[in-house]
Amino acid sequence: MPVRGHVGSDYERLRPEFRVIQDPYSGTDVMIVPPITPDVSLIHGLAADEDGNVLTEEKEDDFVLAPASRAVIASAERIVSHDELRRLPYGLLVPGIHVTAVVHVPGGAHPTPVRDCYRLDEPHLLEYIEAARSDAAFKPYLDRYVLEPPDHAGYLERVGLRPPA
Amino acid sequence: MMADPDARSRPAGAGDAGYTTTEEFMAAAIAREVRDGEQAAVGTISPIPAAGVLLAYWSHAPRVRPIIINSDEWWPFRLGSKEFYEFAQKGRLDLFFLSGGQIDRWGNLNTITVGDHERPKLRLPGGAGSAMLYYWAKRVVVFRMEHSPKIFVERVDCVTSPGTSPPSVTRPGGPQVVITPLCVFGFHEEERALRVESLHPGVSPEDLRARTGFPLAVSASTPVTPAPTPEQLELLRTRVRPALARIYPVFARSAFPVA
Repeated sequence: MPVRGHVGSDYERLRPEFRVIQDPYSGTDVMIVPPITPDVSLIHGLAADEDGNVLTEEKEDDFVLAPASRAVIASAERIVSHDELRRLPYGLLVPGIHVTAVVHVPGGAHPTPVRDCYRLDEPHLLEYIEAARSDAAFKPYLDRYVLEPPDHAGYLERVGLRPPA
Repeated sequence: MMADPDARSRPAGAGDAGYTTTEEFMAAAIAREVRDGEQAAVGTISPIPAAGVLLAYWSHAPRVRPIIINSDEWWPFRLGSKEFYEFAQKGRLDLFFLSGGQIDRWGNLNTITVGDHERPKLRLPGGAGSAMLYYWAKRVVVFRMEHSPKIFVERVDCVTSPGTSPPSVTRPGGPQVVITPLCVFGFHEEERALRVESLHPGVSPEDLRARTGFPLAVSASTPVTPAPTPEQLELLRTRVRPALARIYPVFARSAFPVA
């Protein structure tokens, strides 16, 4: 795939799979790169239906990622009917044909925000940043938030995010 | 009145009219570079350029279209960053802002590794879209919130985004100025290099030389960067601050005093 820019940068030496060719139309140098084809992508949507259609936050670019991936696991804040999904006011639909599995995971983006559901959990993010400074500091974080909670509901309880009724 | 260029911003104080934070000074310097009518975009982790563009929009450049990533109100696209990148590649982006872990005399930006790439001293966040946007935004303002010889070097360890390109490469745009807490550099087209345009108030030529890793043509007759006007400070503190807080809540709290 051709990309703009990049020619003459150190990408040429750091990424041997990026090649510079002559653009047959203009005669200028153009960089071409191999496409990214994920084996599996994980996306988190606002809502999904049972056909695998997922309503996504357009800024996440999931509508680009999903069709490019061999398999897509879509988690969503809510699972709704097909009719309700079509009527929701906001979101970019990723059609179910690209989606392998749908999982109901309310609070799945925590500590990052989901539009109209929950905000950024700033104290938690600061806690994470501190913990991530070293392996020793990270171990308690991992234990507390990843390894100890028995399930997702346990995680939500621990971070103080109430799942919707 | 210029804040200590060594200090990061001080805690928000209540309406001290004679006091300007470094962030406010730089936002005003950036605003000065924004031309009316431009499609002016601000990328990730760029609160000062966002403040500068909004300040310009609400003062001398009312026909600017601010495009600020991670905001809802300043985002005109509906198909993600893909649409934004394609907009730039169509040649529609007039102004953009970039930074670098290292920035060299030739306008090259390094956002990948400092030191040997295989065993780096410092691993930076990566190029993101900069190696395309540096070529395709018609004018790029490079900004950096610190100014030291480790940042402003003779030549970067890794050229993530080069300052200029040969004629065989399609490149409609590039660096215009580089703004730091000490000075404004202009990008000299023929020399293809940074040249000091102005020193900020209170910064001497010796200070600048001591903090810059490449030779400088700077003297006592180098112009002084204008300080923000009272009107600009008022706008920053009353209008820009709350708008910025919706995108950068933590930054906005500390960088701009409450009016």
